[in-house]
Amino acid sequence: MGLSTITDNLDVYVEGFVGTVTLTALGAAGALALGTALAAMRVSPVATLRAGGLLYVETLRNCPLPVLVVLMAFGLPKLGETFLWSFFAYGAVAIALYHAAFVCEAVRSGIGSVSTGQGEAARSLGLPFGQVLRLVVLPQAFRTVIPPLGNVLIALTKNTSVVALIDVTDITNNTELIINDTVDPIFAVLGSACAYLLLTLPMGLLVGRLEKRAAFAR
Amino acid sequence: MDQPAGSPLVVLEGVNKSFGPLHVLKDIDLQVGRGEVLVVIGPSGSGKSTMCRCINRLETVDSGRVLVDGQELPREGKALARLRADIGMVFQSFNLFAHMSVLDNVTLGPIKVRGVAKAEARERGRALLTRVGIGDKADAMPAQLSGGQQQRAAIARALAMQPKLMLFDEPTSALDPEYISEVLDVMRGLAEEGMTMVVVTHEMGFARSAGNRVAFMDGGRIVEVAPPEQFFNAPESPRARDFLGKILTH
Amino acid sequence: MRLRTAAALAALALTLTACGGGDEQGDLGSGTPDTKPTFEAGTTMARIQSAGVLKVGTKFDQPLYGEKQLSGDVEGFDVNVAKILADELGVQPEFTEAVSKNREPFIQNGTVDIVVATYTINDKRKQVIDFAGPYYVTGQSIMVKKDDSAITDKAGLAGKRVCSVEGSTPAERIKTEVPTAKLTTFDTYGKCAEALKNGQTDAVTTDEAILLGLVSKSPEDFQVVGEPFSEEPYGIGLKKGDQPFRDFLNDTLEKAYEDGRWEKALKDTVGTVQDQLPSPPPVDRYTAAG
Ligand SMILES: Nc1ncnc2c1ncn2[C@@H]1O[C@H](COP(=O)(O)OP(=O)(O)OP(=O)(O)O)[C@@H](O)[C@H]1O
Ligand SMILES: [Mg+2]
Repeated sequence: MGLSTITDNLDVYVEGFVGTVTLTALGAAGALALGTALAAMRVSPVATLRAGGLLYVETLRNCPLPVLVVLMAFGLPKLGETFLWSFFAYGAVAIALYHAAFVCEAVRSGIGSVSTGQGEAARSLGLPFGQVLRLVVLPQAFRTVIPPLGNVLIALTKNTSVVALIDVTDITNNTELIINDTVDPIFAVLGSACAYLLLTLPMGLLVGRLEKRAAFAR
Repeated sequence: MDQPAGSPLVVLEGVNKSFGPLHVLKDIDLQVGRGEVLVVIGPSGSGKSTMCRCINRLETVDSGRVLVDGQELPREGKALARLRADIGMVFQSFNLFAHMSVLDNVTLGPIKVRGVAKAEARERGRALLTRVGIGDKADAMPAQLSGGQQQRAAIARALAMQPKLMLFDEPTSALDPEYISEVLDVMRGLAEEGMTMVVVTHEMGFARSAGNRVAFMDGGRIVEVAPPEQFFNAPESPRARDFLGKILTH
Repeated sequence: MRLRTAAALAALALTLTACGGGDEQGDLGSGTPDTKPTFEAGTTMARIQSAGVLKVGTKFDQPLYGEKQLSGDVEGFDVNVAKILADELGVQPEFTEAVSKNREPFIQNGTVDIVVATYTINDKRKQVIDFAGPYYVTGQSIMVKKDDSAITDKAGLAGKRVCSVEGSTPAERIKTEVPTAKLTTFDTYGKCAEALKNGQTDAVTTDEAILLGLVSKSPEDFQVVGEPFSEEPYGIGLKKGDQPFRDFLNDTLEKAYEDGRWEKALKDTVGTVQDQLPSPPPVDRYTAAG
């Protein structure tokens, strides 16, 4: 009981911390890649792509993450051997898929903040759609996108805790182990709060830095 | 209408265009010959910009055809991009890429679209910037340039693609008066070299001196097309007379 | 989820008064379910009576013991036991879902008055809460796929993937007794059953009673194998140190053992899938540890 609940279980927290960091890194990489691609779909000149992007975003954004995680973990295996993955994989993929919807909206709003003339000038040069986005629009959108993307990333970090639902090792899951072991939920959860802060606080600072750097780089 | 000899470079046939309930272009028929400078004038909201933008398909048309060098512009995709590369466009608001140096603005198209080697593109880019009188600004960012310099950089960017046709949509309207002539001078030079140009402008002096023909638009229609002398001295339509009367009193 | 602080403090104050009183509730044993019994002011029983409801934490996903029906009603043996206790107080039971890991906090915070939720009595838990009962004894067993003949007993779990519920006694036992088993723990047994169906685990282990409930849901998929390898006495969790309340609960259980209410409660639920029903276990009026 008390502070010793945390100090006696440091190794358990560390193991969970590593799990959360790994999930965050994989989830964020996936979400950024897919989310940017989705944003491109949502502003593309092809109507079916735009509709597909919208459908994805609205579906995933409105589906609670815990539902998605459990649905994937226990639903996908029913589609056959190919979809029989580790619980960690279900967790990471669900986190990436879910947050891609939010990344998409952040990037899309960034794209909206770049004046249409920039895109028109690029198209007039004969650049195809992909290059218009990649070479002209996205680099300028980047600056406005950093704060909302930072928020998505921090939310993602905290949301990785849903994997505890499918028994993937992370801060939350290991905290539950500690609670069961010590029957001291208050201090056990305080410990986990510290572990999450250790991760999200530097992230917030980093985002602030990037924001400043991008502001000057014009 | 007197037609210039040879096959026309730009042909608009029965072009109609609406923005929702607003019918902006009405049965536009127009041809621009090779090497011709066509100046488009008309009151605000008459559809000049829209017509100009239809020529390189920044706007889609609802009906009718737009042909450039005998080819109809495809709807979307790579083929459209390829044809656009041959059409230079200069905007009222310059639209230089804000995150790139002036030289990078000028070399982007040649490198990415034409596949020109970087070193060669930069060399040609510097030469073009020198030609439009801002050789010393190659490494500056667009925001560090005056309006006139920015517009000349934008012209250089379009020229770098070695286009068959240049479209100008009110290139001097956003400029302070002291910068207007430096941009018009560059355009005059281009016209003298034989570049085919469609120029939407309110600069009547430029229309008179550099234009081969003047097209007058009103209410989404081309009301009158005539050589500048004829148009300015003896406009046929009452609406053109009315418009010129207003302009020339200012 | 958390109770308001004021209510928690009020509950705490009442509990303290009750301890200070330290009286026997002598006239209780003779009370009949029909007449509303009276309790000494300041006792938990009196407080519950004036509140008009007995707040019960139970499982909502535990077939045969505590399972929420589509109708919204919760049904099962644990639920029936809670109803007997509420009857005895002359109040209505009000059920709140308690998953395994929530049970202690629910009691400690006063979110519920009692927990009746396939709750195994053990010493670690006794350090933070108290138990009345046991009112039922089962044993840990193993459930595998119907077509699986590889695992037949506890020893067969070595090196296999085993699923149970986190914070549960069976999960802890597998960790110590079959350390080579790869244990996965979820918050509900439903997930374990789904994982077994999907081939994401090789076996599910927990109290036989619970496994029978799962088998009753999909008899064509699952089977329980081997003999139970532990004794799991289920108790009623209550706030630590509330001796009068614990005595009342134990007295009520004993009464229900005698007048047949306990047997009926069991028959109507577990009795629907198990032919041989156990007899009621003697309640354990242990002396509370510090
Ligand atoms: N993207 C658009 N959506 C809706 N309406 C538009 C759009 N672009 C232009 N319009 C409308 O179409 C009409 C013609 O516009 P256009 O820009 O072609 O006129 P203009 O002759 O170039 O006028 P100005 O001299 O003011 O530039 C105007 O009424 C304008 O408001
Ligand atoms: Mg215009």
